Amino acid sequence: MSTVIDLHCHSEASEDSRAPVEAYLNWIQLRHAERPVNGIVLTEHRQFNRAADYRTLEDKFGVMVLRASEVETNYGHMLVYGVNEDMLVRFDFANIRLDAQTLINEIDRMGGVVVPCHPGRPNIGLCEHYESKPPLENVIAVEMLNGGSRKGEDERSEELIKRHGYAATGGSDSHLVSLIGLCATRFVADIKTIDDLVRELRDGQYEPADFRPRRHPVHRAVAVEAK
Amino acid sequence: MKKFEDLHIGDTLGPLQLSVSRDQTRAYARAFLLDAPRFTDDEGARKEGLPGMILPGNLSLSLLTKLVTDWIGESGAKLMRLGTTYRQPVQPDETLTLQGFVTNANAADRSAEIDVWIETAEADRLVIGTATVQFPAAK
Amino acid sequence: MAVNFDPAIINKVFEITEPVQVSAERIRKFCEVTSETNPLFTDEEAAKNGPYGGIVAPPAFAVTFRNGRHFFTHVPRYGHGGFDAGKDVEFVSPIRPGDEITLSSHVKEIYEKTGRSGTMVFVVVRSTLKNQRNETVAHLDHRFMSRT
Repeated sequence: MSTVIDLHCHSEASEDSRAPVEAYLNWIQLRHAERPVNGIVLTEHRQFNRAADYRTLEDKFGVMVLRASEVETNYGHMLVYGVNEDMLVRFDFANIRLDAQTLINEIDRMGGVVVPCHPGRPNIGLCEHYESKPPLENVIAVEMLNGGSRKGEDERSEELIKRHGYAATGGSDSHLVSLIGLCATRFVADIKTIDDLVRELRDGQYEPADFRPRRHPVHRAVAVEAK
Repeated sequence: MKKFEDLHIGDTLGPLQLSVSRDQTRAYARAFLLDAPRFTDDEGARKEGLPGMILPGNLSLSLLTKLVTDWIGESGAKLMRLGTTYRQPVQPDETLTLQGFVTNANAADRSAEIDVWIETAEADRLVIGTATVQFPAAK
Repeated sequence: MAVNFDPAIINKVFEITEPVQVSAERIRKFCEVTSETNPLFTDEEAAKNGPYGGIVAPPAFAVTFRNGRHFFTHVPRYGHGGFDAGKDVEFVSPIRPGDEITLSSHVKEIYEKTGRSGTMVFVVVRSTLKNQRNETVAHLDHRFMSRT
């Protein structure tokens, strides 16, 4: 019994995504052999999509859809799982200057968990912030594999995780339908709800899962010249 | 000839490999009044913090549009919408791959949704986008 | 501190450009510099038998029309520099040789976020393109990004 979840993706509710949730689930079904994902977590930018209800789609496609948020702090971007009304009153998720330590501590106190994402990314990842600021306290897990990472970024994340003893997750950071599930997190436990997910992120066993295809070298193309 | 009935989610557009030369980049920029140094001159581009001369975003959009209209071919389908996000500068003389996937085919209105993107040889996605194509009524 | 702007500018049309003539030569030039070879856009004889009854501009031609010189009088600027962050184009009707195209533009949205480039402000300008018959040919959302 295990659950593989893409912990980081964006639907049309995020201003820079073009992916309807139904299309995501359709794609997961289509590509299940190479990306065996059981569920996704919609981590919309700077908001929590309160009104969304995906139960009909979950039933139709047999894929779990949970909701979370990606917020912006003085230590970079962070994924907030287990969002509730108290958190939304306490924090303005649209604020791009949230205090990371306060966020981590308070979200934990209110029953959720914060996972810094794409830590190897310039400006908005933990690695760069740790070069000039003290490490954050009470960080349980950090996103090691991100489907939008550029060369070297996941490696920097992995090095940070090893140095600080963090647990590691994976997520596609998908903004396009066809990129869903490229990276995910494999949990030992069976996860069916957001409460299950928060519990397992805090205390469970999990590891990042990489479903990105191996790239073949691309030979130099012929120049497209104006006629 | 492509028909709506023959579409499947997962169908591919491309991959098409190409490289846009400096001369072509300058020709586009000058023809359409985008003659800022970043589009015509490496030194001028570097002064703006760029790695060198870059393609205008409109040119990248044109390349992706062409990927879709070439795929449409003589089917009578129409490109209804194209949206792009420019994530990283696209540089001339770089080997680029343009590709796409059909991500939805809506039988009710005979439309198809397509993911499209431009990536480097290292699989960095420089430009991402989506397109909506409308196929004609069945005869 | 959130990005500052006058809310009154949102959805207020700040410009309707003077008509720009679309010549067959301009369409031909566009096809040349974008390596476009589709006969619908390049071959008068082939295009006559196509769905449009004659040559039309490739869809991406719609983004070549520009706002006026005083654009930044009406559209707020932030920080330093400015980059095209992306476009969303709805293609309503084909653009043909002989058309005269105007842009009617307003600021649709202003927001800030952080990314690889640091803190960025995005100004989204929506333009409606019309021809000389007052028919809409395209809607265009253009995202300008500035680093602050």
